[in-house]
Amino acid sequence: MEPILVAAAESVIAGRKAEAERHVAQALTAGLSPQSILTEGLIAPMAEVGARFERGEFYVPEMLIAARAMQAGLAVLKPHLAQAGVVMGGTVVIGTVQGDLHDIGKNLVAMMLEGAGFEIVDLGTDVGPEKFAAAVREHHPSLVGMSALLTTTMKNMQSCIQAIEDLGLRSQVKILVGGAPVTEAFATSIGADGYAPDASRAVALAKSFG
Amino acid sequence: MPPVQMWNIFERAGTGPFCEDDDFTFKILMPKLQQVIRKYDIRYDPAMPIPQDDDLADRVWQAAVEFFLEVGVLNGDTHRRILLEEAELREALYHAPGRYWVGAGKDARWWEHRAVEDERTPFCIFSPDITCDEDLFLPMSLAYIQEPLADSVCAPILEESMGLPIKSGTPTEMAGVVEHAMTLRQAAKLAGRPGMFLVAVGTAQSDTGQIAVSNDDWGVRHTDGRLIGILSEMRVDNELLNKIAHCAQFGCLVGCLSGAIYGGYAGRAEGTAVLETAYHLVGLTIHQASFQQSFPFHLHFTSNSGREMLWVVSMVHQAVSRNSRILSTSNGFLNAGPGTEMVLFEAAAHGLASVVSGGDLWETAVARNKHRNYATPLEARLACEVGHAVARQRMSRGQANQIVLHLLEKYEAQIAQAPKGKPFQECYDRRTARPNAWYLDMYKRVKEQVATLGVQFPY
Repeated sequence: MEPILVAAAESVIAGRKAEAERHVAQALTAGLSPQSILTEGLIAPMAEVGARFERGEFYVPEMLIAARAMQAGLAVLKPHLAQAGVVMGGTVVIGTVQGDLHDIGKNLVAMMLEGAGFEIVDLGTDVGPEKFAAAVREHHPSLVGMSALLTTTMKNMQSCIQAIEDLGLRSQVKILVGGAPVTEAFATSIGADGYAPDASRAVALAKSFG
Repeated sequence: MPPVQMWNIFERAGTGPFCEDDDFTFKILMPKLQQVIRKYDIRYDPAMPIPQDDDLADRVWQAAVEFFLEVGVLNGDTHRRILLEEAELREALYHAPGRYWVGAGKDARWWEHRAVEDERTPFCIFSPDITCDEDLFLPMSLAYIQEPLADSVCAPILEESMGLPIKSGTPTEMAGVVEHAMTLRQAAKLAGRPGMFLVAVGTAQSDTGQIAVSNDDWGVRHTDGRLIGILSEMRVDNELLNKIAHCAQFGCLVGCLSGAIYGGYAGRAEGTAVLETAYHLVGLTIHQASFQQSFPFHLHFTSNSGREMLWVVSMVHQAVSRNSRILSTSNGFLNAGPGTEMVLFEAAAHGLASVVSGGDLWETAVARNKHRNYATPLEARLACEVGHAVARQRMSRGQANQIVLHLLEKYEAQIAQAPKGKPFQECYDRRTARPNAWYLDMYKRVKEQVATLGVQFPY
């Protein structure tokens, strides 16, 4: 790998925002392709951040500053991606379901998916079925992610899936669910396409959906 | 905080300084937490899951006070921060009674604040902390209520009522909460403990659900307790404020339910300890709480029996116990499930660390609190038997730390792949609500091993 991309990757992992911006600018000036800068300088280090999170070496604060450094570098790179015709990983609509105000799981998954090159539309918390469905209609995502932390609110996931189906959009998206009380069996019972016990596996599943 | 200040708090929930959700978390809460950790030099030592440093405990408290006063609590509905003056917090701490008479009739008892290394035995609340099948609710409740060390019980949570799935905010929740409250009261009567202090109703997620079961005849009595949770992290909403107002006016005890997340916005052990300590102040002032129900947990494992989490649990209870009269139960969240030796060793460790640090006990969620029907009273029993023993023998934190290190050797390496165990109906006879012989034998074997480490069980 080009030394400047190694440096950019290290800046992202360490969460050094200004340095990440500078290294991306230097890589562009050096004539490296926007695709390689994206893949090796920004997405690869976020995969490493995810791996460190899984191993218990990184937690939310470290992921957060790494994600911000990645976004800062991406902001410098984006106009060049468009010019070069580079397409990002697809759009993801994500939210915590109705009645539930817990956001940490959703935020973790959103950070990791963005780090993996997906565009994120974050609906926030306490999101009703109609809002999920409307977001699918508006943003044409490839993936919808739903989070719940309570056994009493996770049942609302089924209503969200139904609302998307009622608009005739179900076949256009994959639906991924997660959260503390959620299990694989529950995900299957409500007709979701996948269940992720943590943010890293959410990314792996999102990528596997193609 | 004295109830006369309640409307002062509610007013601020609508008029306090405006703040967006993300700004609150990322620009106020997280930086301030890191700043007080540095300022008060709070450091986690893995060799000391039960620290013996009074000055450190007091610094955790001071950090929590400063953090609470500067950050406040965000009302997610109005985007207003509820902030208190230092004098108001001091007033609330001064007026905290430090003891409550709970329950009714022959089953009533005192619940009193405990000191670090206190010889007074802990107040023990037994709870499965999990959902259950509708037809298991009564036998599980009976099983827990029949435990002799239980000063109080919180029942499992229903997911169906009359065969219909319960959905929060709908009539099915109304059905479920009434079934929960009435069946729990029936179980208490059947067990011969009709006046037991019951903490209810976990099936009620909404404010309307909680209000629906306030009834001295068949439901939650004013001599019972209710839990009102904090939203992670440092948040409240109007629905929670409704519950707070209702419970204060109804007259039951309120427990503020708080679980700072290790590895989340709080960072690691130090931040989690400060945040969870600050939650006791939120409980006292915003939630009008009579007690705290504290369950800090690990982001990856949803448990608090690992080494760093035992440090958090011990640190929090030492800080609170030394600096206030707030009553605080330490809620175990264990990795392994019922019917395993691992879960029993974890329970022993959690009970030990909590009680020697000045806490009371709320035992115990097991199998990472993830699997319906997976909990039995035997896990809670061992935690509470250990808690009683260490209090009665006036165990020091130093002795407790040595024992906990030995207990960690029994299970620490298996935390990531902890066995799920067996559900209630495979560990207990559902007709008699008593443990099966094989599980009782396992219990006795583990208890004997814990005794050889230095825990002097009274029986």
